[in-house]
Amino acid sequence: MTEFLNLLINGVIEGLVVALPALAMTLVMGVNRFPNAATGDFMTAGAYATIGLQLAGVPSLVLAALIGALAIAATSAASYFLIFRKLARQPMVASLLAAIGLGFLIRSLISLFAGHDQRTFQLPLMRAWNFNGVRILPTDLAIAGVALACLAVVFILLYKTSFGRQLRAVADSPDLARASGIRARGLLISLWLLVGALSSVGGVLLGMKAVVMPDLGWEHLIPAFAAMVLGGIGSPVGAVVGAVLLCVAQELSVPFLGASYKLVLAFGVLAIALLIRPAGLFGRIELVR
Amino acid sequence: MTAYLLSIGIVVLIYALLTLGLNLQFGLTRLVNFGIVAFFAIGAYTSGLLSLKGVPLPLSFLAAMIVAGLAALPIGLLSLRLREDYLAIVTLGFSEAIRITIQQEEWLTNGVQGLPGLPKAFASLGSGNSDIALFVTLVLVTAITAWGTLRLTRSPLGRLLRAIGDDETALMALGKDPARFKVQIFMLGAALAGMGGAFYAHFITFITPEQFIPLVTFYVWMSLIMGGTGTVRGAIGGTALLMIFLEGSRFAKDLIPGVSEVHMASVRLAVVGLALILFTLYRPQGMFGKRQA
Repeated sequence: MTEFLNLLINGVIEGLVVALPALAMTLVMGVNRFPNAATGDFMTAGAYATIGLQLAGVPSLVLAALIGALAIAATSAASYFLIFRKLARQPMVASLLAAIGLGFLIRSLISLFAGHDQRTFQLPLMRAWNFNGVRILPTDLAIAGVALACLAVVFILLYKTSFGRQLRAVADSPDLARASGIRARGLLISLWLLVGALSSVGGVLLGMKAVVMPDLGWEHLIPAFAAMVLGGIGSPVGAVVGAVLLCVAQELSVPFLGASYKLVLAFGVLAIALLIRPAGLFGRIELVR
Repeated sequence: MTAYLLSIGIVVLIYALLTLGLNLQFGLTRLVNFGIVAFFAIGAYTSGLLSLKGVPLPLSFLAAMIVAGLAALPIGLLSLRLREDYLAIVTLGFSEAIRITIQQEEWLTNGVQGLPGLPKAFASLGSGNSDIALFVTLVLVTAITAWGTLRLTRSPLGRLLRAIGDDETALMALGKDPARFKVQIFMLGAALAGMGGAFYAHFITFITPEQFIPLVTFYVWMSLIMGGTGTVRGAIGGTALLMIFLEGSRFAKDLIPGVSEVHMASVRLAVVGLALILFTLYRPQGMFGKRQA
């Protein structure tokens, strides 16, 4: 029972972290209409940028992660401006292929300059609190707290500001949005800035939970996508709920299947979700274009 | 030098088979398969394991094609209900799931250690001649596949498949059922990849899970995109370009001092990434493809 609780807690924390890239993907999917396969590599880049800044002497992890997030936000916006904006009128596969290419490019630059070795953040070592066998790491609480704070910020942006209102208008109907005088250009750049920062923080939090290596984000691409599909494409709340559900399921499967099969489980959940409820838990049925 | 050229030739032809398979799936029918390497791996492991049990190579090759084709059936059926972007990620996930399973199920696949000592194709002819025989066989198989693809694209069935890619709804309005053809083409392309896998296994005689990473899939995509989708000419030409690049980078490593194999692996990944971006941006029709109106 305590073991079950430990896995459950771990799954919820990891779910809150995976929710960040899942949310980033769902936002791009809702507005630009393609799954941004570079999301995972934005995460990796964020983690490496933060480690690099720590090594360069930035004293606090929070500060390093913030500067890292700004850098990745800029990279993300640049990638939209230079690549995806120009592919908007092409078939969706073109954007998807370009996103995969961008992911490869980012990962190869990381491994070229930082190597393939596993790295870790400079974190103060803390002992886990033990409640009759239920262990809670203070670091994990901090990770969950930061993830929740980021999610709160994004949801406030989406639902309480004019930026979010305009964004949702563009997602619903680009033509109608343009006709009502919404200028899509600045809006989309802001969206990609947000998406990059979100992925970057997700990467740092994941790296704090485990180790940082060039494949860090790529390995979470399928889980993030599965979370997005499970929750319903284009539904921000769904992405978060989907991520938590998926990661809890992954953790609970470990005693039966072993840790290596977590990704296979994510794939299984994805396939089943698509078969049984293609619109996801929170999605609406979309008209096929 | 001859041995080296021969082995490059063999690898090019194996990739050409994969690219021809993808050309059927994506070039013709617009089925986005990001999991080619899964069917390649399934073919390699099926034939490898069977041949180690003493099954003659022609039979194990046949089994490789059948198992890879059957493995594509559930994904093909799933593809009927998915939009192309979902299918892309599902197939990508499938290929990673297959790779992890191969890595974990040691009782069957020997896990990360891989399968060494697979029988070499045409081993009875002696070491030098076996590669020549393998090369000639691959030339024939690739030629037959290319010819078959050409025949298919020009047949009424080919027009039907092209129409599936262009406008499925209109086709259904004409009373045709695209579903069956889509699944069949998906399985056929996978069977080709499976055959490629069998050739690969019995050429290098040692397979490990690590040879079947998603990068292989995107090598094939890069070939097809560079060559131009939808044409046999493009598929073959693109594969040739890919090989010039892959092998060329090997020479570059020898010429530029201080570049290690690990660095070169990163550089190759970077070039694949750049090529995918630049070709989708500036030459979506490929090097040899027709400019679309």
